Amino acid sequence: MLFESVPYGLPSYVFSPKWFYGFDSIIELIAIIVSVLLVYYSYKCFKLTKENKYQYFSTAFLSLTLAFIAKIIGTLAIYKPTITRSALGSSIHQTFTSLTPYNINALAFIVYIFFMLLGFMILFLIISRLRWKNQRVIALLLYFVFLATWIGVIHYQLFYLTSFVLLLLITYSYYQNYKEIKSENARFVVIAFGILLVSQAFFVFVIYSRIIYVLAELIQLLGFVYLLIPFILIFKKKPR
Amino acid sequence: MIVKRRGKLEIIADILRSIRNKEGKIKPTHLLYKSNLSHAKLKEYVNTLLEKGMIEEKEVKGKKMFFMKDRGHKFLLEFERIKEFSDSFGL
Repeated sequence: MLFESVPYGLPSYVFSPKWFYGFDSIIELIAIIVSVLLVYYSYKCFKLTKENKYQYFSTAFLSLTLAFIAKIIGTLAIYKPTITRSALGSSIHQTFTSLTPYNINALAFIVYIFFMLLGFMILFLIISRLRWKNQRVIALLLYFVFLATWIGVIHYQLFYLTSFVLLLLITYSYYQNYKEIKSENARFVVIAFGILLVSQAFFVFVIYSRIIYVLAELIQLLGFVYLLIPFILIFKKKPR
Repeated sequence: MIVKRRGKLEIIADILRSIRNKEGKIKPTHLLYKSNLSHAKLKEYVNTLLEKGMIEEKEVKGKKMFFMKDRGHKFLLEFERIKEFSDSFGL
């Protein structure tokens, strides 16, 4: 495991074993594709219906998309340092003289933590049917996201634990939704979030073994594949 | 039991569904009964649907009938997709 302190006390994290370098980025890329599809469709629903709930859902997955993009940038900075030495990389380097691959990794990790927690928090607010007019509660939860990001940067396990708790609440709410709706698609959504929950549990213990990181990433991939299934089934629906 | 009020799009979908369930054509009186709307409100919605080209009005054996058009079918399919998406993701 590569664990190096960089200026301003920001640690950089790479949990992957060397043979898995890049495969995790591919998994993150698949997660981005699924998230972007959900962003696009829910935004389309918002445009058609003018109902804000679709816009919030779109924002939640946009936040997750940004989180995964940040993670790819952060890990690729370590996996492929040649990128930072390329023409674009050197111009960035000249602008920010202290920007090493480890700095990029550390900064990307902060962005990753923030957008990941923000995305899950918005999802939690939507599924909990919390009224958006209740601005004091939302302000408090946003503060909680900032706080969790701050502490999560130093103690990354706390970040994964926070996302685990948020996903636990989201999965439970989706289970309640499934019990009410009883549709096949709602079942796939519960399974998807349940799998993502398990993957976060694995991420908490990633420091103990590199193989746990591989397993967590593979489980996460399965979660996003399951999230794609209801989306595909809805679009396969033919006119009667 | 709290009965949730239908939104504008839901009412339009209900009207189109009523026509579709009657094999794509319906008498105005049947539509009034099926749509659960006042005469004035139904007229308002029917005019909107006629303007948008989702339904058309024809005379069959001297009696007025409403027929579903392709745009109506497309709207209903999209509406049902959004509803399914909304239900599945707990929105």
